[in-house]
Amino acid sequence: MSKVTGQGSPFLRNHRISICFAVLFTAIVVCCLLTLVTGKVSFGLADLLNALAEPGGEDVSHRIFWNLRVPRVVAAVLAGSALAVSGLSLQTVFRNPLCGPFVLGISSGASLGVAIALLAGMGFGHFGVLGAASVGAFAVTLVIMAIASCFTRSSVLLVAGLLFGYFIDALVSVIMAGSEAENLQVYVAWGMGSFGRLTIDSVYLFAGAVAVGLALVAGSIRYLNAARMGDDFARGLGVNVSVARKCVLLGSSILAGAATAFCGPVAFIGIAVPHLAYMLFKTTNHRVLIPGSACCGALLALVAGLFPVSVPLNAVLSVVGVPIILYVMLRGSKERV
Amino acid sequence: MSEKLLLECENLCVGYGPALVDEVSFSLSCGEVVALMGENGSGKSTLLKTFCGIVPPLGGNVRVCGESLENWNLRERAHHIALVRMSVESPARMTVQEFVSLGRSPYSGMLDSRSVEDDAIVQKSMELLDVESFAKRPLAELSDGERSRVYLAEAVAQQVDVLLLDEPNAFLDIPRSRALFRMLRNLVENRNMGIVVSTHSIEYAESYCDRIMVVNKGRARIAPAKNARAEGLFDWAEA
Repeated sequence: MSKVTGQGSPFLRNHRISICFAVLFTAIVVCCLLTLVTGKVSFGLADLLNALAEPGGEDVSHRIFWNLRVPRVVAAVLAGSALAVSGLSLQTVFRNPLCGPFVLGISSGASLGVAIALLAGMGFGHFGVLGAASVGAFAVTLVIMAIASCFTRSSVLLVAGLLFGYFIDALVSVIMAGSEAENLQVYVAWGMGSFGRLTIDSVYLFAGAVAVGLALVAGSIRYLNAARMGDDFARGLGVNVSVARKCVLLGSSILAGAATAFCGPVAFIGIAVPHLAYMLFKTTNHRVLIPGSACCGALLALVAGLFPVSVPLNAVLSVVGVPIILYVMLRGSKERV
Repeated sequence: MSEKLLLECENLCVGYGPALVDEVSFSLSCGEVVALMGENGSGKSTLLKTFCGIVPPLGGNVRVCGESLENWNLRERAHHIALVRMSVESPARMTVQEFVSLGRSPYSGMLDSRSVEDDAIVQKSMELLDVESFAKRPLAELSDGERSRVYLAEAVAQQVDVLLLDEPNAFLDIPRSRALFRMLRNLVENRNMGIVVSTHSIEYAESYCDRIMVVNKGRARIAPAKNARAEGLFDWAEA
């Protein structure tokens, strides 16, 4: 990584990028603090420092802090960055600005797992909803990887992924049609998305899955930077396209699958945030866009998480996400998206 | 013109299943520009793709700088040979500088960083092709003439020995086509490289290229540019 900070690197040379990162990072820290101190039980700065100083404290405020607030912050930051990076990678690989984790059916796979667990009565033992979502997302990832091996063209793979997503959604509908009202209510609640489900014990698991996904995507930056010019162009630059594409797809699936498993099917971050990152950083270099999207995603998720728990997370994100997508589409009509 | 052979092939057979062009025996020397001509669908583009290893040969093999392409990995190939296609779609938002910088990708690490030397090479390539004045503009907003120079600048930044160009003047008017071919001559003379350029223009092939290769009915014929007409290489065009 020595070259990253070396003379001539975009990080130092381009002030705009440095300023954007500084502002985003500051905003993320502020939102993290706000998430930690706001809620039904208000925390002062002293309480916050006190809870941080004694992680093993047994009183109510300590428990609220460590069992509710901290997992909530971690869930928002990890899910926001994971979905944003997943969306960015998929948009680049498929050269389609409206691509996102939902398009390939990965989130649908997680939904199918949860539907089977909650509605069809297969409880998955102590795995519960979380395990069911992970299994569903991972199963879809495997099928997508198999499809990716059959089709060399990204556009065909995109259509195959879309069709597969529809197929899974149809299966979910069939299961929903034959389920009881009580179970259906739980399933619908899960479908609204929330950062409040992550437990302190699962934080490491979530962080581990996101780290693996990010590493797979980051290891394919050469491919991502060349992919917008087409697969043949990338091959001409010495990129092993089939291997790199599989790494990106697997990484994106892990990121989206983990986020959906832990926070529910959180919509829009995956589609909207990469466009936000383009607008802020004004570059197509994924060395900047990947961390940039991750920061924007984390910030958007934290902001959405600050709204009262009674307002469904997906509703808040859609209210923020839709205007962004519309703005990009309107701009696109002027300058070719 | 030096005798160092940059690209060699013997009895090369190219195509995607059935052979499009058979028994191609050809060598490209350092400092040489060879025009590749033939009807649409005759296999010019496939031949160029086979030369650079994007399409595997059906028979025979390709040697670049004395080494068989099969012995190199993709990155090593990209250090020696590049194919420039003008028909590639320009992505929205990518600027000229970002695109030319992609030429340094074969030399970068896993995280695609650029060293000071890389940046200097990118800058020099942009200056050589006279594109630095619009380095910050998006690729998609350029005129065809500007874009063809930018595509060449990217290939120059890649510092290859063999440059393959697929119809670089397809979208260019007469003055810009002439300027492009003059630029190709300038490149081979100053950069120790060899160029194979596919074109439909007999005039530019005769004026600016050393030899002409014609692909017709599955066979490739080659002759010095000044003798090509006399040897009947253009008979297919006049039929």
